[in-house]
Amino acid sequence: MRRSALILTRLALLATILAAWEWSPRMGLLNAALLPPLSDVLAMLVSILGRSQVQEAIGVTAGEVVLAFVIAMPIGAGIGVLAAESDYFGQIFRPMLFYAFSIPKSIFLPMFILVFGIGFQQKVAYAAFSTVFIVIMSAAAAVESVKADHVLVARSYGATWAQVLTRVYVPSMLPFLLETLRIAMIFNLTGVMIAEMYASRSGIGQLIASWGENFQMPQLFAAVVLLAVVAIAFNETVRWLEARCSTWRT
Amino acid sequence: MRPAPATVRRLLLVLVLMLWELVPRAGLLPELFLPSLSRTLGVLVQNWAEYAHALVVTLYEVVLAMLIACGAGILIGALVGGLSLLRQLLLPVVSSLYAVPIVILYPIFTAWLGVGSQSKIAFAGVYGFFPVMLSTAAGIQSIDQNLLLAARSMGASLPQQITRVVIPATMPTVLAGLRLGGALAIIGVVVSEMLTAAAGIGYLVSKYRTVLDSPRVFAAILMILVLSVLFDALARWVERRTLAWQTAGLRERGAPMRKETYVGATGAA
Amino acid sequence: MQHVANLSGLRATHAQAAAIEVAGLSHVYGAREGTVPALEDISLTVGAGRFVVIVGPSGCGKTSLLMMMAGLRRQTSGTILCAGRPIEMPDPGRVGVVFQEASLFPWLTALDNIEFPLSIRHAPREERRRRADAMLNLVGLAGFGGRYPHELSGGMKQRVSIARGLVQDPPVLLMDEPFAALDEQTRMTMGHELLRIWSQTNKTVVFVTHSLTEAVYLADEVLVMSARPGRIIDRTEVTLPRPRTYEMMATDVFGRLREHIWQQIRKVT
Repeated sequence: MRRSALILTRLALLATILAAWEWSPRMGLLNAALLPPLSDVLAMLVSILGRSQVQEAIGVTAGEVVLAFVIAMPIGAGIGVLAAESDYFGQIFRPMLFYAFSIPKSIFLPMFILVFGIGFQQKVAYAAFSTVFIVIMSAAAAVESVKADHVLVARSYGATWAQVLTRVYVPSMLPFLLETLRIAMIFNLTGVMIAEMYASRSGIGQLIASWGENFQMPQLFAAVVLLAVVAIAFNETVRWLEARCSTWRT
Repeated sequence: MRPAPATVRRLLLVLVLMLWELVPRAGLLPELFLPSLSRTLGVLVQNWAEYAHALVVTLYEVVLAMLIACGAGILIGALVGGLSLLRQLLLPVVSSLYAVPIVILYPIFTAWLGVGSQSKIAFAGVYGFFPVMLSTAAGIQSIDQNLLLAARSMGASLPQQITRVVIPATMPTVLAGLRLGGALAIIGVVVSEMLTAAAGIGYLVSKYRTVLDSPRVFAAILMILVLSVLFDALARWVERRTLAWQTAGLRERGAPMRKETYVGATGAA
Repeated sequence: MQHVANLSGLRATHAQAAAIEVAGLSHVYGAREGTVPALEDISLTVGAGRFVVIVGPSGCGKTSLLMMMAGLRRQTSGTILCAGRPIEMPDPGRVGVVFQEASLFPWLTALDNIEFPLSIRHAPREERRRRADAMLNLVGLAGFGGRYPHELSGGMKQRVSIARGLVQDPPVLLMDEPFAALDEQTRMTMGHELLRIWSQTNKTVVFVTHSLTEAVYLADEVLVMSARPGRIIDRTEVTLPRPRTYEMMATDVFGRLREHIWQQIRKVT
């Protein structure tokens, strides 16, 4: 199918789903108490964005997300690069890393709470913990993706290590690094949300959990929509950047 | 001579267990933060009835969630992978949706299905669904067309092409997807039990945390860890046995990460 | 081997007439700007037990022609008869096919791969085993039946592919550049092996290749095809005696034949 036709079909699908969301509760096909119509949700979204309580929560969540990211990226990247550069190191830790992905990291939340209490620090620490593993893995992959051939060619022309770093490694790795950023943010956001929903007195996650408990469905859906839109927007932006940097990639 | 990596890993594991026992005992960390391994195990054994009952609940939810995730995942994945129209239409959308933390949907599930097992099974089912679907779609999409041509030339009918070529050829990717989906189903159940529940191991974690009973909390954490590791080991064993014909790492040669592995591993993991 | 030779002897008496007859075959592709003639009015007759090689520039349609002879593709007009009956779909009992990619199923052993066409027809296990073993011996791979494709070299994989093509004892074997992916030395060995197998089984072979040396070495008759639209523009009898030897490649006759064919190809490239 041609690109334009594809995009049109997707938009049509989206429109159908949104229409269904709007009319099914209104026509009584679905219980409006459980699934508020789309327009109600959107109206509520506008409304809650105006409340100071919600604005504060957004600020708190944003702060946690950024800080956890800033902590996890360098640590993860450092370990990842080390793992990629040293075969031995990598061989020891790679299987363990894979295991780390199948374990529910949320079970360690209580440990973080015991140590940090129920506050900003605990959520940042937990989110960073959640994120660091994927950063390690991606960073290692990024380093490995730099073809040994290219490095060899550069060095055979007398390039110094600094030049090899900037002229071969960095351009080679840039798309991968952006990919790392994108995926790490997904893990990061998830970690923050879990921590906020579990035991927290502030943040969007806590609001979502509380609205859910109290059956305030329009607010709940509004918050979910808000978060989804922000997450997808960030994701697509980084993807677009990746695509711009990757034109040379096969 | 350096020891083999596998040996180093085992030594590290032993070291961690030893530290777990000795650090709290030596008073380096308060028992509140880290109860010693022996305390934790002791509590587990003493209260075995309670933990066993919780384990049953959790396992029940996990199994049902896995059935949903794997069943729906394979079916829909096969459809999406096989029909190029669906694939072109839906796959980019799915991978965009991946950016959203699925956990924020959990309160919706509890509002609709209550606080009991149903909401957890549904939530974890959805959680585990995506890696299975994506792997199956990828597997079907990447079938070597030459194999199908060869089968046709040998007179294989369409059903035969599916059972004798498509299914064995996609087996590696599908099994890997099932392993990932199963792991995420476990994660989904644990997270949802921790958040809002009245039964299950995750619930025990939360319950005892609020009363600051660390040994009991850690006993539950230990159980979950063991459960995850056992499932992973079991899944890998099944993969190895069924795929004895593959050269080691035939698929994962080169860059160790592929998009699918990334995408499947997102979430509370 | 005994069994196979007897069977072929029987067949030879039945099909003294042409093994393959292509009459007035044309094929057009429907492209966006209008139809594109791919093949134009191809007529050829291959006598039973002959080894015919088709050469031509890239894109001239020799593979398409072979696919049609195998029943894997339908021509837009014209007929293809094999042993007197039209070919409209794959019929491994009449026409065996060997592709450039050996396309062995990686999850089956060499022997299971050879048995595959028989197992699709639900032939009894005893018979499948017997015939597959016979083919394995025929292609010189006795003892390697239990190996998986990834444990076989390129040449060995092609031998298995040939064995698989012959296992149902078709009178005709079609081969589409089967040795193109092999290195030169293996190619020469395989060509020699193929001639041995051919002389032992009395099959009719239609062989497509890019290599003129290979063409002259193997063939009774070399057909040259032109490109867009594909047409047969030249037929050359290879008058070298059989059995062919490597030394013949250095003779004047060989050189002149090759030169002639090359000139024909240059005219249409």
